[in-house]
Formats: sequence, structure tokens, C-alpha cells
Amino acid sequence: MAKLRVVHYINQFFAQIGGEEKADYPAELRVGEVVGPGMALMQKFGDEAEIVATVVCGDSYFNENLDKATADILEMVKSQKPDVFVAGPAFNAGRYGVACGTIAAAVQEQLGIPSVTGMYVENPGADMFKTKVYIVSTRNSAAGMRDAVAKLAPLALKLGKGEPIGASVEEGYIPNGVRVNFFEKERGSARAVKMLIKKLAGKPFETEFPMPVFDRVAPNPAVKDMAHAKIALVTSGGIVPKGNPDHIESSSASHYGEYDIAGVMDLTAETYETAHGGYDPVYANADADRVLPVDVLRDMEKEGKIGELHHLYYATVGNGTAVASAKKFAAEFAQKLKADGVDAVILTST
Amino acid sequence: MKLEIGNIFIKDIQFAAEAKLADGVLYVDKAALEKIVLEDETIKSVTFDIAKPGESVRITPVKDVIEPRVKVEGPGGIFPGIIAKVDTVGSGKTHVLKGMAVVTAGKIVGFQEGVIDMSGPGAKYTPFSETLNLVMVCEPVEGLKQHDYEKAVRLAGFRVAVALGELGRNVAPDETKVYETCGIKEGIEKYPDLPRVAYVQMLQSQGLLHDTYVYGVDAKKTLSTILWPTETMDGAIVSGNCVSACDKNPTYVHENNPVVEDLFAQHGKTLNFVCQIITNENVYLADKQRSSDWTAKMCRLLDLDGVIVSQEGFGNPDTDLIMNCKKIEAQGVKTVIITDEYAGRDGKSQSLADADAAADAVVTGGNANEVIVLPKMDKVIGTLDYVNKIAGASEETLQPDGSLVVELQVITGATNETGFIKLSAR
Amino acid sequence: MLRGTILTNNPLVVEKLGPDAPVVYLQCSYQALLEAARDRIHQGARLLTHPLSGSVKPGETPYKSIILTNGKGDVDRQSLQLIENAIQACAKFQQRCDRYRPAVDLDCRLIDWTLLEGALASANQ
Repeated sequence: MAKLRVVHYINQFFAQIGGEEKADYPAELRVGEVVGPGMALMQKFGDEAEIVATVVCGDSYFNENLDKATADILEMVKSQKPDVFVAGPAFNAGRYGVACGTIAAAVQEQLGIPSVTGMYVENPGADMFKTKVYIVSTRNSAAGMRDAVAKLAPLALKLGKGEPIGASVEEGYIPNGVRVNFFEKERGSARAVKMLIKKLAGKPFETEFPMPVFDRVAPNPAVKDMAHAKIALVTSGGIVPKGNPDHIESSSASHYGEYDIAGVMDLTAETYETAHGGYDPVYANADADRVLPVDVLRDMEKEGKIGELHHLYYATVGNGTAVASAKKFAAEFAQKLKADGVDAVILTST
Repeated sequence: MKLEIGNIFIKDIQFAAEAKLADGVLYVDKAALEKIVLEDETIKSVTFDIAKPGESVRITPVKDVIEPRVKVEGPGGIFPGIIAKVDTVGSGKTHVLKGMAVVTAGKIVGFQEGVIDMSGPGAKYTPFSETLNLVMVCEPVEGLKQHDYEKAVRLAGFRVAVALGELGRNVAPDETKVYETCGIKEGIEKYPDLPRVAYVQMLQSQGLLHDTYVYGVDAKKTLSTILWPTETMDGAIVSGNCVSACDKNPTYVHENNPVVEDLFAQHGKTLNFVCQIITNENVYLADKQRSSDWTAKMCRLLDLDGVIVSQEGFGNPDTDLIMNCKKIEAQGVKTVIITDEYAGRDGKSQSLADADAAADAVVTGGNANEVIVLPKMDKVIGTLDYVNKIAGASEETLQPDGSLVVELQVITGATNETGFIKLSAR
Repeated sequence: MLRGTILTNNPLVVEKLGPDAPVVYLQCSYQALLEAARDRIHQGARLLTHPLSGSVKPGETPYKSIILTNGKGDVDRQSLQLIENAIQACAKFQQRCDRYRPAVDLDCRLIDWTLLEGALASANQ
């Protein structure tokens, strides 16, 4: 049988071009070259597969030219007709992880070529892409290269051959929400007894089924004096000034916007719109107050029901945005809201 | 309370003119057993068959699986309150016909399920592909109601198992195991430094074909209560449950409860196995609240440090499981729960119908919706007439080549929630 | 006597309990019955029985009977959570009870009735 054809994606650092100062290195296809971690992969592939080309791209370049970089790299990958595409591993490098996840997901979805990457579980790219592509769980630094490649290579081979993929614990990928059966070495009751002994001793143990996480937030005490309170508006409904000046993505938003509404009494079709791609935007675009109720709060301000409406509002798009990203945004602008003396926030979704 | 279990290893089962157990071979007198079954006039006829590991045989629809045992010393008899008198069991000496099982099969309701394949890919999903099975298929008299038929088959299975067990009464066991737990005070004195652990077993108790009996009492009419863990080894708990083949507990599983066994293995070493607590899974929500309140109360009253909670069934019992877990944890008693999953055929759906952050230590028996192809077998014991109708099957189930495309749900014991099997999921 | 309402799509329940019982019979699917129960919960009724009673899964039986209180007022969070989870669970199972033979259909009615019967025994204590 012919060897499987593999295209490998790495960043400027692992291609030994340079560090942060070279992160703007544009995407480049090196046909017939095996670079950096590719060597270790080749060793593990043995006779079964070979890296036929390596794509090298700077992390800043990729993230700042997302659409162009993705399109260019897709063309490069397509030209090499690989059986499987491997990106990284990215370990704990955030932008590299996001790049690996983005390009691996794109290759898989748009070219129909099975893809795999690897990164540390806390890499933001892991949370963003673990349900889209297999992401092998690695250590948090390149010191874990051997271990990473030992999992990445066999999984890439299986994907390339179209073999069934086992459970996450067997294959070493980050759990992706798809439950897969497999046989354990010990029966369930013995595993339960062992788990209980660990739990009783206060030692770490690993549940076999993590409960769905409900991030319940205890409500703050009620605002006593609304008539003198400073109220701010925050939305995940994507309401932005017309033209979306900060280019907030229509899904899986990577950032949020801060907008001044001093003197704005009403949001109109001419001045505001939604950036959200997850609902029919017609009604929000016709009157953005429907999502971000500036008009009503201005009325209340006039009537003396609230002290004042804060002159800044914060907006992002909730559509498919990673919980971790949303938390990060909120942690940031919550500090700003506090510093501005805001007493309460009205949070609107879609 | 101390019970000695003497295992007699059964190497073969044969039909013969005279019933006996010699040199590990069980000779079965069909005519004598038939008489025992037909004592119940609601049963019109019975056929017996033998299925051995590795054979190209499929048994379906399976109702119950029972291990023959006999009480050699000590009070009471096997299946107290049902076959034997209601005396408390769990002490003395019991002989077990190890390596075999009585399997009752036959259609009770149209959508009933339960497949045991003795070879092929399905065999590794059922623990009963590894036992020598004496299969009995009972036909009811005309017009018999489902309730009465279920009961007749259930009891006939126990009578046959007891009759076979009796053949082991005077046979020297190949292996002897001793199981002993002590009273509260004695346990604290004996194992002052070991964590106090109990087993909370949830019993299926929703109604017809969903029932479990404890000393003959329908579990849905019981309050949560305490057993010596050895009581179940003498058949104190039996199955009247024929639905949800993959995660119901056949009587065999009660007799050989793996949590009881594995807690005994650590008893006196890493933990002090205090007792077994049984609780039910009723349909009425106030019953659930009462039962789980009582379970948690007992855990506290017994000064437990930890418990293992096992579930039986799908959906409704998820709520009991989470209630038990939450309330027991709230008493400061640590829990590990055993369940199985219904994550859809693609594995992407929410596995349980209830959830809580307190359930941070879960053992799973796997996704019951996962699809498997069971190739055609040379012989079918029972009938394939209903195989399109069993849970986890569909119109496409029976393929032209005779193979079955089914979910693991249909296989007896596939995702057992007492941890009887090695299947799991991530 | 039961203080509450039995919501059912099972003709056998109507037949067994007679015309005077507090039964609301709906000719609808299993899932639609759960949704009808959800409507009542939003209006303040509380669940008295578990909506996923029985090991016969959604899609494997067309019948469902649920007992609810007649309460009006605040929404009971636990009831709402149970019914939402139950509705969500419907999607996990293959729909195939529409292909049953008539005899099997009668078995499904009987099982649903016996599950309800057990609950009524508890409710009427």
C-alpha cells in the first residue's frame, strides 16, 4: 500500500525562523520539506505515511489576516492532495493554538480532508475547536513534544485510513462532547470502589462522565435606590454602530466592543445594526433598541426612575462564542464598569 | 454476619435420565424440571435447551437470568419470601453452581427485549455469553394476562434454579470464600482508622415488568432500608424486571452483586464495609423525595464516610440517582455513582435526564444507544418474531442476510449499572 | 380522591378510570403530551409523577400519562426542569412505535396504565 500523504502546518517559531519578531511571516508552502516537529512525526509514521509538504505561517500574520491566510493555506493544502492534515502541536501558545484549530477545522470542513492538531487543554484554541477537530491533549510546553507526537501520529494515521476513532481516553484527544464506548480493563464496580477510596482520601480522581456544567451565578442584592443608580447596558446580541467598526465576528467572537452613547436617545436603522449571525437580523437592524433598549432607558432617565444611563455600552456576539472567551471579555469590562461607578448592569441577549 | 460461599465449578450441562451433579457436570432431567414448571397451571408448556459459550446461538427475548444456589447451613433458604420461607438469610453456608445460569425466555409483551449471543461480536457485550445456560421457554395458557404470565415465568425460573441448586447440596465445593461484616460498634472498634463505607442500591420499582422484590415484597411499597451485604447472596433480592435489557439487573446480578463483592475485597484493608442500603425508584415524585431523604438520613445515622450508589434503568431513575447523590453529599458523605448513558446513536446527546454538580464522581457503563450489527446465528432459542419490536431496534433491524442492526440496549447486561461489566464510555 | 389532573394520551386510562375521574385526554404524540404538561407547568401546575416513567423509552411507546397538580401561580422550577429534560430526551431515540402491530399497541397501553396505577396508589394514600 502506498504511504499516506500528510501536509503539516507549523508556525514561524517551530520552523526556526524566529520568535515574536518574526510572527508576521506570511504563509509559505514548502513542498517536499519536513520541518521541525515534522521530523518526529515522520519517525512515528514509519512506513505508513510521509509528510509531503509543510506549511509555515507566522502567528501574528495568521491571526491578523485571518480570512486571507485561511484561504491561501487552504489552496496550498489542496494542491498537495493529502490524505490527512496535521497542525502543530501548539502546546500552550495561544495564537498558535487558535491558528492550528482554525486551519485544521477549515481543511476538514472545506476540503473534506481529515485533520488533527494538538495543544494544551487550557490553550484558548482547545475550547474553541475541540468539537470541530480532534485535538490531542499535550503538555503545556514543547518539552512535551515526544509525548504529543506519540499520540498525534497514530491518530493521524487512523484518520488518514478512515479507521474508526476510539474514545478520548484511548486515543488521547481532548473530550469533544461525543460519547464513545470502549472496554475498560476492570469492571465498573471495581472502578467505583477505587474512585471512592481516592475521593475519601482527598486524592485526585477522574470522573468518567463530567456533569454538564451549569455556571450558576448567585444574584447580587437588589439595587436599593434605582432613582439615583447609574445603569449600564451590556449585550451579547451583537448591537454595534453601523458598519461594525471593530469587526466583531458574526459567530465565535474573539473580542467585544466599547461604544459611546452619550447623547444618543434612540438607536435607528441608520445608526446601529447587529453583527450577530445566529438570528434573523431584520428586526434588530430595523430598530436596535429591540436588543439594546437605549430608548426605554432614556425615558426612564427622564422620568427619574433611574439616575443615569452610563455613556458606554459593551457588546459582543454570543453566537457560538466560547464560554472561556465570554468570561474573559466580561472580566475585563466589568473592571471598567466598576471604575466608572456603575451601580447595575442590564444584560441582554437575543 | 458471616456467610461461606462454596463454589462448585460447572464444566458442562447435559440432558440425562437422572438428575445429578458429578465431576463438574450437571445432568439435567428434563421431565422432572418440566413437572416443576407445570406445577403452575397458567403455564401451558415449557421447552428446555442448552446454550454453551462459543456456540452459534442467540437467546431472545430473555426475561431473567438466575444462578442456582442452595443453602447448606444456617437459617432460611434461597429466595426467601418467594420460594423459601421468609427467614433472614445471609449467614451459614451456601453452595453455588458456578459458571452456569438458568435463563428464562419468552414473549410477555410485544416490545420486550433481551438478547444473549453465545458467540460473535454481540457476545462480548453480555456477561451471559460466558455461562453455560439452561434456557427455558414457557408458553402461557390461552388468554393469560401479562401480569400473571410475568409472575408465572418469574417464579418458574426460581423453582427450577432451586431444584438445580439442590443437586449441589452434598457436593464438595471447588472453592470457598468467606464474607463477613460486623455490627456498628464492633466495626468501629475493629477498624478505627478505616473509612466507613456502604453500598446504596437503587431498585427498579415502577410497575408491571419494572419491579423488584425484596424478601417477596414489591420494592415500590418499601421504605429505604438496610441489609447485611451477604443477604443478597442468598437471593434476598430478585428481579421482576423485563424492560431495558441492557441496564436492568437480572436476579443473577443481585446474587453476584459486583459492588458488594468489590467492597468486600477491600473490607478491612482500605475501608470498613458497613452495610447495604436499598432504596426504590418510584414513579410518584413524593415517593422519590421520601426514599432519597431516608437514604441520606441513614447514611448520616450510620456515620458513613462514603457510599457507592448504583442505578437501575433509564430516565425516571436518573432523578432518583441525582436526588440520592445530592442529599447524601449534603450530609457530608462522599459518593461515587454508577450509571449508564443514553447519548443518542451519534453519542452527541445529553446522556442523563438529570444532572447535578454534586455528582462529581461517576462511573459509566457506556452509551446504550450505540449501534451494533449482530450477525445471523445458526440457532435461535426463543423467537425472532419480536426482534423488530424490541427497544433499540427498528424496522431495519432484521437484515436480509439474517443479521440484526440494533442498539446495545437490546443486549442483556450490556450497560449494567452495578458495574458488572467492563464497558464504559468517554 | 386524587387532587390533581391526569394528563394522558392513553385511551386505556380513560377506560379504566371512568368518566368521573380528573382525566384530560389528548389525542396526541408522546412528545406533544409532554409539551402539554409543560404548558400547565408554566401556568403554575406541579408535576406529581416523573415524566419519563417506565423503561420503555420515548419513541418506543406512543403513550404517556402524567399526574399534575391543579395549582396556579409561580412556576415550580423542579417541575420545569424535569419536563424540559424529558422533552429533550425524546430526540435521542428512534421513532418506531408507529410500526407496531395492534397487539403490541395494546401492550404499550397496558404498561403505561400500570405505571400510572402505581403512582395513583401512592397519590391516594
